Amino acid sequence: MVGLSVGEKQFIQGGIAQDLRTDGRKRLTYRPIFIETGVIAQANGSARVKMGQTHVIASVKAELGRPSSSAPDKGKVSIFVDCSATAAPQFEGRGGEEVSMELSAALRQCLLGGKTGAGAGINLSSLSIVDGKVCWDLYIDGLVISMDGNVLDALGAAIKAALSNTGIPKVNIASAATSDEQPEVDVSDEEFLQFDTTAVPVIVTLTKVGRHYIVDATTEEESQMSSAVSVSVNRQGLVCGLTKRGGAGLDPSVILDMISVAKHVSEQLMNKLDSEIAAAEAMEED
Amino acid sequence: MRGMDLSLNHTQKLRLQRALESLESGTNSNASVTVADTIPVNQEDGVLKGHGTTDLDGEVVATVCGVIERVNKLVYVRTLRARYKPEVGDIIVGRVLEVAPKRWRLEINFSQDAVLMLSSMNLPDGIQRRRTAVDELNMRSIFEENDVICAEVRDFMRDGSLQLQARSQKYGKLERGQMLTVSPYLVKRRKQHFHHLEKYGIDLILGCNGFIWVGEHVETKDNMIEDEPSKPDPKNNKSQISISLEEQEQTYTPLETRQYICRIANAIRVLSTLGFSITVDVIREIVDLSTSKGLDIHDMLGAEFCVLVAEKEAERRR
Repeated sequence: MVGLSVGEKQFIQGGIAQDLRTDGRKRLTYRPIFIETGVIAQANGSARVKMGQTHVIASVKAELGRPSSSAPDKGKVSIFVDCSATAAPQFEGRGGEEVSMELSAALRQCLLGGKTGAGAGINLSSLSIVDGKVCWDLYIDGLVISMDGNVLDALGAAIKAALSNTGIPKVNIASAATSDEQPEVDVSDEEFLQFDTTAVPVIVTLTKVGRHYIVDATTEEESQMSSAVSVSVNRQGLVCGLTKRGGAGLDPSVILDMISVAKHVSEQLMNKLDSEIAAAEAMEED
Repeated sequence: MRGMDLSLNHTQKLRLQRALESLESGTNSNASVTVADTIPVNQEDGVLKGHGTTDLDGEVVATVCGVIERVNKLVYVRTLRARYKPEVGDIIVGRVLEVAPKRWRLEINFSQDAVLMLSSMNLPDGIQRRRTAVDELNMRSIFEENDVICAEVRDFMRDGSLQLQARSQKYGKLERGQMLTVSPYLVKRRKQHFHHLEKYGIDLILGCNGFIWVGEHVETKDNMIEDEPSKPDPKNNKSQISISLEEQEQTYTPLETRQYICRIANAIRVLSTLGFSITVDVIREIVDLSTSKGLDIHDMLGAEFCVLVAEKEAERRR
């Protein structure tokens, strides 16, 4: 990232304090979001999201697998993010691993809930085919192509769009087998069930610069942050996950305030994403 | 279209296409060539084949896409979206990369870093004297890493890199504003590159290398005049860390100036997206257009305004 002079840093901080950022946005305004679905033909669902100069792609692949013994009636979801070297020179080779691990962990927390699967944004029970024997394994992969700040929000939006684009093939279970054997399943090639995404939350990252919080920070603004809190909120306004980044400590009252601001912003973001996803799906059908 | 990330709806796409077509029809398309086009030459002998051409089966063929230029017997192809091509006397804006012995190295969107010698820079006390070792040790008090500087190209060094000079009062460190990067071919060489927009109280510096500075107006002080108050001790900047938040807030740019800075910056961003030349008049027109339409500053980056700017430019050139 290009460095910033003291004068430029002051200008950015002043802008945030006066509610007028360098590109004219208010503190709680997002950059224009551009969504395209169905970009990867071989995947069950995929989406590309552009927020300013931040470009990410998410894809969802569904494969048959065995459910874990601790949760026999639930499917499995694994999320993994890869930072491509085109995003930043330091991501070449294994350089991007740290950032990828951080993003994957934050996404898992926000979308998959706790260890027992409680409070997950994705309904894992809907992925089960035969209790204890066969279930769907969803592999959600994110790829960061270009970074200009706020990658976590973009990935959250991309995963939401990819999930709404996902078609799980219909499965016909062959004759009932004994409890030891694997039942035969016939995976249909034509019929698909659309994945239910009404419960999938959106992620809103609030970056604290000076005394104020901003939403959708660019790389320059992120370089000035003291700390950042990412909150994932679902349609009912309930908080599904919470991550904090950054070295500075935060007073608990500040965190509660940030959560309420995030809830407020998430409503508009959720509506915007829904309309953009619908538009993208309509474009794809054309 | 042109790699733009704008989501234009159907009518906007049509309007934009129409505006761009009317702009393209005005230009003389006879002189433009693409790779492997033959260049019409009158006499085959006595023609000097310049940059971007090659001899193929006795014919002069272009190797790059661009416009044919002829100077007496020399024929060459000038590319449109080339890297910045510096000339002596160009005003440029650069960022300090490194503080080296007796010089600063600047990044200026060129294939090599430019060099600003300590002797080409005015000392803070304004006296013309030989630079001593103490001056060399205090270089950081003049410019530090990542500072944005405005300077002029003095000449070329033997390896092709640039040497800069910043002797006049109007050159030097730029603070209280933002720097934008556009493609170098959008900024044409003019008589004036420093623009003080009195109406908005803003300094606009169009660097020939594609770096543009938009910032609050700073009065250029003449260090030689004794009665003027001296510049604040650079050491005070170091204690900025201990300045409380309230004091810092008082030194921020006033809101009205900031609004104009953001409007001008967004106007430049729109011009860069559309690929139009950037001049002060065009910028002024776009800012007036946006204020007359009552547009929010951030909406200037939207699809609708982009199409409006293209239409206005088509109208202006007709």
